[in-house]
Amino acid sequence: MEDELYLENIDEFVTDQNRIVTYKWLSYTLGVHVNQAKQMLYDYVERKRKENSGAQLHVTYLVAGNLIQNGHVCHKVAVVREDKLEATKSKLATIASVHVYSIQKALLKDSGPLYNTDYDIVKTNLHNCSKFSAIHCVAAVPRTSAEVSQVQTSVQAGSQTPSDTNAVSVPVVNGHGPSTAKQTAQQPKGIMGMFAAKMASKPQDTNKETKAEAKEAPGVSTVSTKPPAKGNIMNNFFGKAAMNKLKVNSVPEQPKEEKEVVKPSVPVAEPESSPNTVVEKPGKKTESARIQQKDKKSKMKRVDKSDNEEERDPENLKKKRKRIKQLQSDSSDEEEVLPSPMPEEEKAPSPPPVPTLKTELQPASTEVSAGGRKRKRKRVLKSKMFIDEEEGCM
Amino acid sequence: MFSEQATPTAQGLLAPPSAEASTFARVPVSAYADCSQPFRLGERSFSRQYAHIYAARLIEMRPILEERARQKWGNGVALRKLCELRAGEKCCVVGTLFKAMQLQPSILQEISEEHNLVPQPPLPKYIHPSDELILEDELQRIKLEGAVEVQRLVTGTIFAVYGSEQDDGKFLVEDHCFADLPRPLPWKGPSSDRFVLLVSGLGLGSGSGESLLSTQLLVDVVTGQLGAEGEQSCAAQISRVILAGNLLSQNTQSRDTINKAKYLTKKTQAASVEAVKMLDEILLQLCTSVPVDVMPGEFDPTNYTLPQQPLHHCMLPLASAYSTLQLVTNPYQADVDGIRFLGTSGQNVSDIFKYSSMDDYLEILEWTLLAGHISPTAPDTLGCYPFYKSDPFILTDCPHVYFCGNAPHFQSKLLKGEDGQQVLLVAVPAFSTTQTACLVNLRDLSCQPISFSGFGAEDDD
Repeated sequence: MEDELYLENIDEFVTDQNRIVTYKWLSYTLGVHVNQAKQMLYDYVERKRKENSGAQLHVTYLVAGNLIQNGHVCHKVAVVREDKLEATKSKLATIASVHVYSIQKALLKDSGPLYNTDYDIVKTNLHNCSKFSAIHCVAAVPRTSAEVSQVQTSVQAGSQTPSDTNAVSVPVVNGHGPSTAKQTAQQPKGIMGMFAAKMASKPQDTNKETKAEAKEAPGVSTVSTKPPAKGNIMNNFFGKAAMNKLKVNSVPEQPKEEKEVVKPSVPVAEPESSPNTVVEKPGKKTESARIQQKDKKSKMKRVDKSDNEEERDPENLKKKRKRIKQLQSDSSDEEEVLPSPMPEEEKAPSPPPVPTLKTELQPASTEVSAGGRKRKRKRVLKSKMFIDEEEGCM
Repeated sequence: MFSEQATPTAQGLLAPPSAEASTFARVPVSAYADCSQPFRLGERSFSRQYAHIYAARLIEMRPILEERARQKWGNGVALRKLCELRAGEKCCVVGTLFKAMQLQPSILQEISEEHNLVPQPPLPKYIHPSDELILEDELQRIKLEGAVEVQRLVTGTIFAVYGSEQDDGKFLVEDHCFADLPRPLPWKGPSSDRFVLLVSGLGLGSGSGESLLSTQLLVDVVTGQLGAEGEQSCAAQISRVILAGNLLSQNTQSRDTINKAKYLTKKTQAASVEAVKMLDEILLQLCTSVPVDVMPGEFDPTNYTLPQQPLHHCMLPLASAYSTLQLVTNPYQADVDGIRFLGTSGQNVSDIFKYSSMDDYLEILEWTLLAGHISPTAPDTLGCYPFYKSDPFILTDCPHVYFCGNAPHFQSKLLKGEDGQQVLLVAVPAFSTTQTACLVNLRDLSCQPISFSGFGAEDDD
């Protein structure tokens, strides 16, 4: 009974689904040892051809063996079509293995589709890619999480300790280790400046990000009073200058930096009333500080992309407007205007310094009345240009 | 030889399914020790000049060369420094070689406004009949002429010359000698067949899918999925895989994005990102089955100067979860099952190829072994870290297997030394062009190429 089952399966795959059935694909799909899969394929071919000699079935074989070439004994492994099988076998001095590689309905012009089939099936089974193989390695065990963290710290520590006689007496630090601390200490200062500059900048982009992520209740009440600050931090992260800095640093430094930057951002605060949606951000930020590097990277990429969607298309502004509206519902006037010039600002190549910004925003905010959307937009543009000119002067 | 014993069961899988499929256990790692500590850099400082490396090199190799000189030209040979030379006196001088090459690309010439020179296009070889050899020691330098092959030698070699100073101030060389093979290491090799697979130049991310199937076949052979039972049992004897550089293709290094405006390239991703993901998947498949050592190469995302530091494990998240993955430096030195391996990803050999008349990668490899230095042209024409107190590229122990990656084709040779050294020289071919890897048998230091192929539109395989 079981024997018949696999034959039916292969028949279905080949004729009905018109697939290319390689031994590996069959092994993963049916959950059998690779050698059994190869034998199954052979069996199917034999039976099918006995029943119906005109069956549309093309087979590729794997041939491996030794060959004398240039004075060496070369071991050759080749995938060949059925019509070339005997020719290839005759070229080899000794044959080490012959077995069916794949079965398909159509005649293959080249071996590209075979690779694609195998690639796809392996990709979906990466976690147990050696399950059905004929060789088992005892040493291949995944590292425990303790080992992983040890490796990470040893990589950083190893670069700290002078490993060879090239330790300089004056430590001009250029690698990891102490440099990390130095750079992270210096960076927050630079980033702090930016934070102070962009107090209420761009919750929009971070909002985009947070909305894209799961919405969870923020548990950080102390931080909740400084939502824009937090938003700014992440924004400043994803501001170009900050991005460049962060890109320069090595990856292990990023979570450190971000963690450290998140902390100093807390004292830098403009106590403002916090809408819930904005409160999400600080919760997100502290959480994201804990999230692993990969997620950080992907987040940064995402926000970078969203940051880079700086084209003033109405859609973007519409989104921004939506957020402004939400903020408006809970927060003060100041807050609602501050976000809007911010995205424009970030389009400027460098973050403007703090005092100019604040002074500019003050007049901008005072100008704001409970006007329509269009009015706000105009004001946004104006303030941006104002800032730009100011920058030019500076 | 690999898989000779597989022949009886070669056609065994051309049969209906058998009840039990046999699995083989990978040969266990009996003795592995990573000896590439000298190539790992901790804190790096680039504030020093490169003169220190040459000084360290000369100081360290001088005693070796003086010993060789005495062996070759008698115990009574006069060993002089350049400042002690007297005209006409036959003596032996040990020093660093400098080759003054007309065609050597020089940044100063390029930017010199007086000359108004068009920057020289990269040539395959920079040798010229007018090249001159100059011997330098700690204090002085002197031009060499005579029985010395100007075209063959490269800058940075430490050697000893025997001859006399002429009246015109040049040194007439009658004979010369190199440091020769270093002292041998004791043999602790395995008694049964054990293989190490050397692959280099996988060239992922090249945009052309020619060698992708071959790469997959390679992984399948090593992990025991491909082949009949006999071949799989032989593959279980592969105890280690060493990837010797250029895992990524040169195409991933394209710098178009630098020249283009930022707004055009904002959303483009570096080609190496995709390639590294592919590499991660391939390494994962290998790591679940065999210990792998990954050396960086010329086009890989690590530092440019020698010694190249290991790739960072964050780039390979899937594979680095396994303890069988080892990210190592270039050059790499290790004791595998009692056999000392030493090798590079090929930058040292290809650099010497450019500045010497030697054409054969294996010949150059052998020459570096005899000259006692892995990469004499560093730091002159090959980027190198400014070492201060020591030069880690000097060969102190004679390895059993000495390889270089990314050679144009496979070559191997067993070199026997006077003091009983036995070195297997292997020029590992670039897999992306040749689809060939090397299997080294640790029992008898033999090497066999293994090549993979698919079939293409043209009928000839």
